[in-house]
Amino acid sequence: MAIKEWSKNSLLGIEDLSSDEILFLLDEAQSIKAQKTIDGSITESLRGKRIINLFMEPSTRTRVAFEIAAKSLGADVISIAGEASSLTKGETLKDTAMNVQALGADAIVLRHSSPGSPLFLSKIVNVPIINAGDGAHEHPSQALLDIYTMREKLGNLNGKKITILGDILFSRVARSNLWGLLKLGAEVTLAGPSTLVPKEFEKLGARVTHDPNEALQGADAVMLLRIQHERQQASHFPSLSEYANVFGLGRSTFNQMKNNAIILHPGPLNRGVEIESELADSNRAVILEQVSNGIAVRMAILQLCINCGEIRR
Amino acid sequence: MKGKALCNFDLIGGRLVDPCSGIDRVKDLFVREGIIYSSIPAGKPAEQTFNIKEHIILPGLLDLRVHNRVPGDTQSETVQSLTQAAAKGGFSSILAMPNTTPHSDNPGTIRYIQDRIKQASKIKVHLTGCLTIGSNGKALAPLGSLKEAGVVAVTDCPHSVRDNQIFTNALKYAKMFGLKIIEYPQDPSLSEDGQAHESSLSLKMGLTGNPRMAEELAVQRAITLSRHLKVPIHISSISSFGSVNLVKEAKRLGVKISTDVSAHHLLLTEEAISEYKTQAKTTPPLREEIDRLALIGGLKDGTIDSCNSSHEPYAEHLKQVEFDLAPSGAIGLETALMTVVEALGENDPFPKIAEKMSTNPHQILGLPPPSFKEGNIADFVVINPEKKWTYNTDTGMSLSSNSPLGGHKFIGKAILTVSSGKIAWCEDSILID
Repeated sequence: MAIKEWSKNSLLGIEDLSSDEILFLLDEAQSIKAQKTIDGSITESLRGKRIINLFMEPSTRTRVAFEIAAKSLGADVISIAGEASSLTKGETLKDTAMNVQALGADAIVLRHSSPGSPLFLSKIVNVPIINAGDGAHEHPSQALLDIYTMREKLGNLNGKKITILGDILFSRVARSNLWGLLKLGAEVTLAGPSTLVPKEFEKLGARVTHDPNEALQGADAVMLLRIQHERQQASHFPSLSEYANVFGLGRSTFNQMKNNAIILHPGPLNRGVEIESELADSNRAVILEQVSNGIAVRMAILQLCINCGEIRR
Repeated sequence: MKGKALCNFDLIGGRLVDPCSGIDRVKDLFVREGIIYSSIPAGKPAEQTFNIKEHIILPGLLDLRVHNRVPGDTQSETVQSLTQAAAKGGFSSILAMPNTTPHSDNPGTIRYIQDRIKQASKIKVHLTGCLTIGSNGKALAPLGSLKEAGVVAVTDCPHSVRDNQIFTNALKYAKMFGLKIIEYPQDPSLSEDGQAHESSLSLKMGLTGNPRMAEELAVQRAITLSRHLKVPIHISSISSFGSVNLVKEAKRLGVKISTDVSAHHLLLTEEAISEYKTQAKTTPPLREEIDRLALIGGLKDGTIDSCNSSHEPYAEHLKQVEFDLAPSGAIGLETALMTVVEALGENDPFPKIAEKMSTNPHQILGLPPPSFKEGNIADFVVINPEKKWTYNTDTGMSLSSNSPLGGHKFIGKAILTVSSGKIAWCEDSILID
């Protein structure tokens, strides 16, 4: 049964959400996007609210997207980067967060390299915590915008074949998408080098293969993941050129997918590594639409969580 | 708590369990000036009489893996709090690991710790020294001088020497002094970034895995080197079912190795870390049910010789951080004994407890096991096997509270611990009688 109202004041991950909650959030984002498209007007539902972006790890698009989303809803946004914070002076995350709360934050958007850090913070402070990426654990806003984009292009995702190709082991995007897509009934295939795509992912409900052709055969969408850990290249795969040669998405592998198949990428894109440059610019790639949709999705997240938290407080 | 005087009391109606001496019967025990008598000694009245009907008396327990924080981190534990926690948990002796700050890799540090123990401890604390300087695996520690200073074993626990040549030479060199070698089995090249047991759970949680292979490679290395060099090695805190199989096979072939398991690995699995609970981040990591069952099986069939507490105290603020930044280790001195009792799940686990936690650990270190023979120094623990209690880390003796067993309900408790003829711990309840 579809839910009628949002009841979470924090967004820690997709694993915690029900399929109804995911759909509710996507529908909210859809109506925000529609509103923007129709007359550009947005209800400033977060006017007077103070949102702190606590980004302990470098980020451009996620941080900026959250800033734009918050400002579009009328909120005041203060962004703190790890290197400019007291954490470099030895302060713990716990103390930083308690100080941020004492400064009157109405929500904290946290990006942190430690898995589980948003859950850790949510037990310490009494304000909504929005996970903007925690280590290799989850990146819920990214997965929601990915799923939003897939749903926009492919319709209902139930039964759709979605392949995620690349560095799965270190990817929070892969994990959050896996949870979300499975909850919406999609069939998820994880693919890439055996060193970066452990078979154990099958226990979480995915199909795992190390053969990109097999992975893409008949797929409705492919999500390419950046090779994130440049420093681990030597131990996990031989070279970028070998990766491009074996696992890069080229025209011939792409042609094995369904006719209307789409290509997603959470960015930043390594042209010529994960994907042939020409394919990245083709009309099958929805990479920039993902970025734009990210604003509406993050507006929906902030609005729902902060207003829910407000009602609770 | 009682004072430091040698004790004079009668224990009436308890069951003495000491398989080493072939004793298992209800028998009164008389202690005068710390010495055991089997009948009331003439002209020496008892100061106290404890009526301990239906209680169990085991020979003094020895914990083979305890992490002492003195010198270096008295916020986490002092010698006094450490040894009180041990005594409360039923241990009359502990073996302290050498990862102090500075490391116990020199006689000066050993002597400093010995002084602190003399001032503050009511139980016996045996010391280990580092196998390599700073336990960094690069250069041999002065093992001869450490032995002279009083260490009974050498180890780099909770680390393992990475370089095979240095490890081999360390074994040969330690053998010369008859020093016991304790290996904490981890191949650091596979395990040093690991935050949790490598499994679908660690994948789900986004934590870097510490695979069973990392431990099993090191267990196999210890077995191979022990066999070739004819050096007995004690392998500490095994946690994977593969390690149990390797040790079993090696023992069958007569290789001179012994091994132990930490108590919480017998009761808990990796599920304890869900929600990123840093209290359950242990060394080695908690693994899966298949491992837990194999460890219990190994304990029962003799593959595993002993159980330790792997007591690793960390002050609260050190553990109240992000999971991957939190140090590994859990306290266990106050819960280890009853954890093992619970995990064994036997109607009468106490003969096995005496073997695994008293006789064997003493023999592994080459120390005479305590017994109830007349004329021996009193060194034992009295257990009320029916006492129900809930472990509350806030009221424990340890200064730290990083236990995965906080809130756990136990049945059975150590109520009187006597070490070297002195009462080290006495529950108020026993005094009522």
